[in-house]
Amino acid sequence: MSAELAIAVRDVKKVYGTGATAFEALRGVTFLVEPGEFVMLSGPSGSGKTTLLSILGCVLNATSGSVELLGRTIAGGAKQPTQGELAQLRLSYIGFVFQAHNLIASLSASENITTILELRGFRANEASEEARRLLAHVGLADKAKSLPRDLSGGQRQRVAIARALAGSPPIILADEPTAALDAQNGLAVTELLRSLAKEHGHTVVVVTHDNRIFHLGDRIVHIEDGLIQEPS
Amino acid sequence: MSAVARPIGTRASLLKRFATMAKVGVRMMFFDKLKLVGTLVGVVFAVVLSNQQAGTFMGLLYKNRMIVERADADLWILPAGAETFGPGKELPMSDAFQARTVPGVAFADPVLVGAATIKLPGGGTEAVTVLGLPYPNYASGPWNLVKGDRSVLGRPDTMIFEDGDRETLGGLNVGSVREVNGRNITCGGFTWGMIPFGPSYAVADFELARELLRMPNDRANYVAVKLEPGADRERVRSDIRARVGLSQVVTKDEFAITVRKYVLQKTAIGITLGMSTLVGVIVGFVIVSLSMFSAVVDNIREFGTLKALGATNVDLAFLLLVQSVVYGVVGSAFGLMAVSQMAKGIRSAKLTLIMPPWLTFGTVGFMVLMCCLASGLALLRLRKVEPAMVFR
Repeated sequence: MSAELAIAVRDVKKVYGTGATAFEALRGVTFLVEPGEFVMLSGPSGSGKTTLLSILGCVLNATSGSVELLGRTIAGGAKQPTQGELAQLRLSYIGFVFQAHNLIASLSASENITTILELRGFRANEASEEARRLLAHVGLADKAKSLPRDLSGGQRQRVAIARALAGSPPIILADEPTAALDAQNGLAVTELLRSLAKEHGHTVVVVTHDNRIFHLGDRIVHIEDGLIQEPS
Repeated sequence: MSAVARPIGTRASLLKRFATMAKVGVRMMFFDKLKLVGTLVGVVFAVVLSNQQAGTFMGLLYKNRMIVERADADLWILPAGAETFGPGKELPMSDAFQARTVPGVAFADPVLVGAATIKLPGGGTEAVTVLGLPYPNYASGPWNLVKGDRSVLGRPDTMIFEDGDRETLGGLNVGSVREVNGRNITCGGFTWGMIPFGPSYAVADFELARELLRMPNDRANYVAVKLEPGADRERVRSDIRARVGLSQVVTKDEFAITVRKYVLQKTAIGITLGMSTLVGVIVGFVIVSLSMFSAVVDNIREFGTLKALGATNVDLAFLLLVQSVVYGVVGSAFGLMAVSQMAKGIRSAKLTLIMPPWLTFGTVGFMVLMCCLASGLALLRLRKVEPAMVFR
């Protein structure tokens, strides 16, 4: 095992609400991922996997426990990070692939990528060049100027993956990336995500129900009722 | 396996982030064309209504003080308590004579203003405002002569009337004779646009006007004072003041301001047109506000995505700010084009739409401000967008 884990979640709890209506979504989760690992996180609806992904993605603060990304403490320190700090952490550490691709409808495939690159400090011409390279990487070199509405579901998801890779963040988090795709496209997208881990050194965590792609993961982590059930 | 990817060390400067958000904001605006048009209609509506009202107000204001603004006078002597240029208050004729004795005064011409009635050829009467000016300066008019010239005022019983009222005055032409306050007067020419906020001006030589208005020899309504080149205006004013007793001595600008105050505070014009302007602005504000709010609600997932990807509330506020500025500028441009066409279309001697440059540029600035304020509702909604929503 490497000295520094890509993701180190220890005894994390997350409670939504307070008092009688309080709901404990995570009840002491420990989840460790090595750099370059391709991990699948599965579990039934309401099991807490999206909450865990949100905490890993720095879009949600944990109620207790500690979270480290590549040795950097993002939860469990002396004080909770502010929204601004979390936003900066997302820019530095995380690439997201969402279930419904979440591309900005008014921006072309290329602009969806350059926008995040520019937020990450790339100059406009560097960002355009990098967007072209990333689109070529996901097999969409000829779709740079296309708007999301002009792309198929599989193509949109590949643009979303290219956007997640923009600037090469160390951790890629994918939320049900194959849910809206047919079997063939789902497999192609998963293989692409796996290649990010195996060929480019990204740590990839995929939340999925899709048992057609389980065989591609290094590990499948099952979560249920807010607890990790069976690391395999 | 290749080298492990490391955290991204670079970060965009504030300026760079704003530029990026500006680009995204503008693209979002122009992507939803229906919403864009709806919002712009709000701004255009506010611009057209407020400018039409403001332009009309400026026109009416001008009508009330056109003599003051156009007259070739540096100082005015006004009757005590006079607040506007019009019939009513009088001052002693001696004020003009006293002023003429002050060193630095080129001339001091008394001015008469009074109401008169004209008998129409087909029966009935119409009102005019007789303006009496002394030969040879005619410092206070007439101007915009479309027929005849000032010299006709030197002819016996001859006056210059307003072209815009020719039909009202019974098909008046040069040479036509009309009975004015019981005296036959020949029409010697026409002005265009010399219509105050009331009956149009009919210009006569001072002595003729005195007889028509039955003004005593020792009375006048105003005195227009022209200074000699290089004369010290304040010193001259002070000297005149010392000689005219109760009458006021004001500069041209002060007189114009006095008239504006009078129109704004003592007549219903300011309140009426001001209210219409306010209604236009409020309706425009509501339309823009709701359109921008609804645009945010429609694109809530996209804003959530931007937040999840690393955009902050400040970034998104700037995005809305840029949209507001674009709405304000583009909407103002369309609105001002419409108003200027309207002003050209009106082009009447009786109704003037005046759009001074400060009103035009002020409109753009005000509309941008209005749009920025209107985006406040959208911003409140945007602040509550949680980046975690993208996982739901």
